[in-house]
Amino acid sequence: MTVLKLKNISKSFGAIQALDDVSLTLNAGEVLGLMGDNGAGKSTLVKIIAGNFKQSSGEINFEEQMVEFSKPMDARNKGIEVVYQDLALCDNLTAASNIFLTREIKKKFGIFSIVNFNKMIQKSKDIFKELKSETVPEEEVRMMSGGQRQAVALGRTKLSKAKVVLLDEPTAAISVRQVAEVLDLIKQLKAEGIAVLIISHRMPDVFAVSDRIAVLRRGKLVCNKNAKDSSPEEVTALITGALETA
Amino acid sequence: MAKKNPKINISNIHELGLLIALIIVMLVFGLTTDNFFSERNFMSILRSASYVGIIAFPMTFVLISREIDISVGPSVAWSGVFFAGLIKWYGISYPMAAVIVLIWGMFLGYFVGMVRTKLFIPTFITTLALWSALRGFSLWITDGMPVLISDKTFRYFFGGDLAGVPTVTWIMLITFCIFWFVSSYTVTGTNIYAVGGNPKAARSIGINVDNVKIMTLMATSFFSAVVGILYVARVASGNSTVGEGMEFDVIAAVVVGGTALGGAVGRMTGTLLGVLFIAMIGNGLIHWGIDPDLNKVVRGIIIFIAVVINSNLSFKRNSGPKED
Repeated sequence: MTVLKLKNISKSFGAIQALDDVSLTLNAGEVLGLMGDNGAGKSTLVKIIAGNFKQSSGEINFEEQMVEFSKPMDARNKGIEVVYQDLALCDNLTAASNIFLTREIKKKFGIFSIVNFNKMIQKSKDIFKELKSETVPEEEVRMMSGGQRQAVALGRTKLSKAKVVLLDEPTAAISVRQVAEVLDLIKQLKAEGIAVLIISHRMPDVFAVSDRIAVLRRGKLVCNKNAKDSSPEEVTALITGALETA
Repeated sequence: MAKKNPKINISNIHELGLLIALIIVMLVFGLTTDNFFSERNFMSILRSASYVGIIAFPMTFVLISREIDISVGPSVAWSGVFFAGLIKWYGISYPMAAVIVLIWGMFLGYFVGMVRTKLFIPTFITTLALWSALRGFSLWITDGMPVLISDKTFRYFFGGDLAGVPTVTWIMLITFCIFWFVSSYTVTGTNIYAVGGNPKAARSIGINVDNVKIMTLMATSFFSAVVGILYVARVASGNSTVGEGMEFDVIAAVVVGGTALGGAVGRMTGTLLGVLFIAMIGNGLIHWGIDPDLNKVVRGIIIFIAVVINSNLSFKRNSGPKED
């Protein structure tokens, strides 16, 4: 089932054409690996899907409906979650507060509504248990390792029951041992029927989890095929431009 | 992966240290002077701490969200002059004049916030301009003379005592409770910390960073207007020269209280202690008979030391994630 459909998306910043007529679909329970060199337009595409930018032309369909996101909240409300490369965490808040940021659990306290920290910590514990992470919910994120930070960032997507999860370089900032953990988590998301879009430079990681590979070069989509019909060598050639299209 | 006890963190240590310092300073002044340990003197310390404190709590939020407002002193003076002027020159009733001045106060913060978020001018610059302009305008419009007001009920209530404690101190404590509550238990508080911790992340996750900043700046200028009115009650006139150097006291109290000038870190309880600390030092030095000019030097040195300690703590706190 197609969850997200991008139709002829173009985006220009002044004279710079960041995306040029990109069409792409994303199905439920599918992992799409999006690859490309620096400046190829990967991040721009993610930011358009996430509602950070508005496309210059083209349209986005979400569950067969045309949607327009004017801010990230619009996209999140639909069920599109992004885990950014820099993880977008607030170092000065606890892991639990980070997971629940903008979606805090509240309770009535007289006429006031106050944040229910205990419940948030409890739920975060459950989430970390599911992720098999030893992250402590009441600890501040500043003290945490790369893997723990990743767990916090992914915890957000667990919380929201997302339908589409966009992962921007999920394995770039963590140690080799933890890469396997993250890849397992991606497979878990897929098994739950979530559509996953993963952007990465790390070819082995992409091929380890992706069903389909798409390659962007200078804003143009030059490849969109099943992962098993492709190979790291072909993708490298597509990224560098040694191969025009595939 | 060592598990740490979340109850003991560095901000608690900072506040504990400050509390100990406060007690030491109190003992030193108490043992070396005759009149320091008197009820009358404690009320005097509380009173001066209260005017600073009322503004220091919203200022804590401003600093946490990575902004600053240095126009506090002139803003207090102008609010007082404006308030007294409305009553004396235009015959407006006290409550009405207060409402106008408070709305004006909020507007001022809104203006600073809009300039910051829409024109990207640092708040330091905008409030520096206001610092000069508000003082100048207050002096010009009053010719440097006090604008006298006469209502005794107003003066005795807001300038006097309530149940043996200065009314301003009650107001300061209420302000503290509000800001402590907001910072510890509300979504608004969490959002302010989030904006200070990582503005980019806060924005990408859907927090309206601009509104958060505007709100904290409005709170500070609103409470500056409150203090302006309270000063009028104290000295029975709107005075263009009150609040000289008050921005210094307010920001110093907040930073001594453990709030980082770079944002993200800070707590209302720390600010409360910082406010008391600054007021006590100012008062104690007078009891020691130190020349008022030198008094400022000594306070400068003490605040410098406190900030060095604080910034070292916050440096350690900000030294980034560990790799496991």
